[in-house]
Amino acid sequence: MNGLLQQDVNQETFTLNLGPQHPATHGVLRVKLVMDGEYIVEAEPVLGYIHRMHEKMGENRTWVKFLPNCGRMDYLSALSYNHGYVAAVERAAGIEVPERAEYLRVITVELNRISSHLLWFGAFVLDLGGFTPLLYAFDDREFILDLLESVTGSRLTYCYFRFGGVYNDIDDAFIAGTREFIKKQRKRMPMYDALVTKNIILIKRLKEIGPISKDMAIRYGATGPVARGSGINYDVRKNEPYSVYPEFDFDVPVYEEGDSMARYMVRMDEIEQSMRIIEQALDKLPEGDIKPKKAVKLVKPEKGDYYHAVEAARGSFGVRLVSDGTNTAYRLKLRSPTYSNLSLYGEATKGMLLPDALALMGSLDLVIPEIDR
Amino acid sequence: MGNEVVQPPIIHFDTLDKILGLGRANSLWPMTFGLACCAIEMMATGAARFDLARFGAEVFRPSPRQCDVMIVAGTISKKMEPAVKTLYDQMPEPKWVIAMGNCAISGGPFVFEGQYGIVEGADKFLPVDVYIPGCPPRPEALIEGILELEEKVTGHRRWPRVEAK
Amino acid sequence: MLLAKIKEALSSLYEDIQETQEAPAADDAAAVEAEATVVEAAAEEETAAIDTAPVAADAAEEAQAKETAPEQEDAEPEEAEEPQAPPGPKETDYKAKGYHLDVDLPPEKIPEAAEILLRENFFIESITGVDWIDEQQLEAVYDFNHFDELCRVVIRTRTDRDNPAIPTISHIYQGANWHERETHDFFGIKFTGHPNLEPLLLPEDADFHPLLKDFKA
Repeated sequence: MNGLLQQDVNQETFTLNLGPQHPATHGVLRVKLVMDGEYIVEAEPVLGYIHRMHEKMGENRTWVKFLPNCGRMDYLSALSYNHGYVAAVERAAGIEVPERAEYLRVITVELNRISSHLLWFGAFVLDLGGFTPLLYAFDDREFILDLLESVTGSRLTYCYFRFGGVYNDIDDAFIAGTREFIKKQRKRMPMYDALVTKNIILIKRLKEIGPISKDMAIRYGATGPVARGSGINYDVRKNEPYSVYPEFDFDVPVYEEGDSMARYMVRMDEIEQSMRIIEQALDKLPEGDIKPKKAVKLVKPEKGDYYHAVEAARGSFGVRLVSDGTNTAYRLKLRSPTYSNLSLYGEATKGMLLPDALALMGSLDLVIPEIDR
Repeated sequence: MGNEVVQPPIIHFDTLDKILGLGRANSLWPMTFGLACCAIEMMATGAARFDLARFGAEVFRPSPRQCDVMIVAGTISKKMEPAVKTLYDQMPEPKWVIAMGNCAISGGPFVFEGQYGIVEGADKFLPVDVYIPGCPPRPEALIEGILELEEKVTGHRRWPRVEAK
Repeated sequence: MLLAKIKEALSSLYEDIQETQEAPAADDAAAVEAEATVVEAAAEEETAAIDTAPVAADAAEEAQAKETAPEQEDAEPEEAEEPQAPPGPKETDYKAKGYHLDVDLPPEKIPEAAEILLRENFFIESITGVDWIDEQQLEAVYDFNHFDELCRVVIRTRTDRDNPAIPTISHIYQGANWHERETHDFFGIKFTGHPNLEPLLLPEDADFHPLLKDFKA
């Protein structure tokens, strides 16, 4: 037994193992629970069941050959991860990106964010016991996947960005399809609202469950919807603008309560805000190249270390790269947002009922391969 | 749980075997064993557009005691390998294994010189029946894999093969 | 301005580092001065002994000048060193590097720096390591950021490669618990005072550290 779980012989507790194969753990996560009846005394997540050595591959693969890895870290919002890595290398090597490419990047990243939130919505309500919203969410998601497949070529693990731009341009069918999708989705959201959000069972399951205070978010480094559900107004797109986000007018939903319902509402509102960004980007889309005029043949960042952060669907994804002037990175650190979000699970679940702890885990929006990298 | 030898039956009932084979093939119950990215495509295959239910395989059971087929979807890491073997051993006979995705076939994109963390393919420790390549394979590919498994169980194929003209 | 405030707060950590650096310099200067006075006294004795013979006086003066000249030469390199940047938090070019403040500290000062940052409500973004095998050192890099006003602070510390040990900050920032476990997994840096420094991402019985440059599978 390690120091974290001390068995007290006078207390009648038992140790329960949740995972690594379990319908509610979104990936392979194992949680060691010490239970007193239905109440959790201590919860300790155990990681490493899908550790795929991304950081070691960052040192083995050249700069370009690492691009497919970015899509496999968090496969639900793979384009944000592409964006983080590509932006970090562009900052280090001083590569300029043409404006049309930046707009295409924003449009595809926001579409990906909507699809990630839709899948989270379906899986979360499935954890709580409702099967129907999952099928509706997957159906909506298929439209986005069709659109992105026509541009990037893949359905799930995209590898669309290149250093200095993107590799494929969009056509009129894509633009028409996206506008059609936004119209359709705007009609769907009130249905989700009436069926799920205002459902008395969901409200009773989520309100005041799993409170995360602002102080806890600071001590653990929680970002993304987990922080925005606790009253912290931090969004990398607004606080530390990158790409062409300053040109768009969108709100950042922030809720004060800090419970699971607040995190749920933050993500549902973010879907609407992403649709606003896509509409504005489609209206303002400039003509031009999608790759820089002087083609980037060899990427050679200068010696030193660099950092770049983007707003992924789950929080602030940071890339810290140490370069020694050769064609591979000397050290590539990937700061994953869910890693910091999950680390507060042990403190947040003390004394909770087991089903409430599962509701909290769902509201944190975990993707385990991103934690294990 | 070691390797057990299942004795073949002494008396063969040909028609009964055919009927049992038909029943088993048309109602394969998969285990929800999504490890990584391929799990999402498996869920999409079970969802509304691609609908695995019309082939009989809609009931994804979380418990290994109630499944026929284990779809290994995702990378198997060295830490996870004993758990996968335990789950396979807990499944009752007759059972099949589908290796879905490049990682389950041979390690996928994570094989490099000096790799320390993954098992290069599910067939290193499990008897795999059908391999479905792709990273991740499309839902149509998973459906084709299920049809191949049905052909392996019954001896003939349910749907005609699609041929490019 | 948050950047100026935190820079000033962190530079207080450097005060005793600077004192230890000035003390040996003062000793050197005093030693040089002592030698010079001895030489001067000897030269004066010579001049007094030889009486005011101009050649001897010239020689003594030359000798004295020669003695003072090296003293001045010794003094000049010391003065030339001072215009170099004194140790302290350095502001960096945000557009080029991606962070605002770069702080280089010895390992013992890390918990104090973390306490200063927590008082100002910085949140911990990540902790990682870098293996500088050519210099036989392991570096730990701490990233901090602020929710209200953008200010990225990077704290670095270096330790020996053979016996790496850095004090933990998991009692100040609880999120550092997992980050330090991961850094220990990959590099073998021991964080003294950590409640359970067990493998987090590698199997429980792993005894290898994969991200070291001389790791062979």
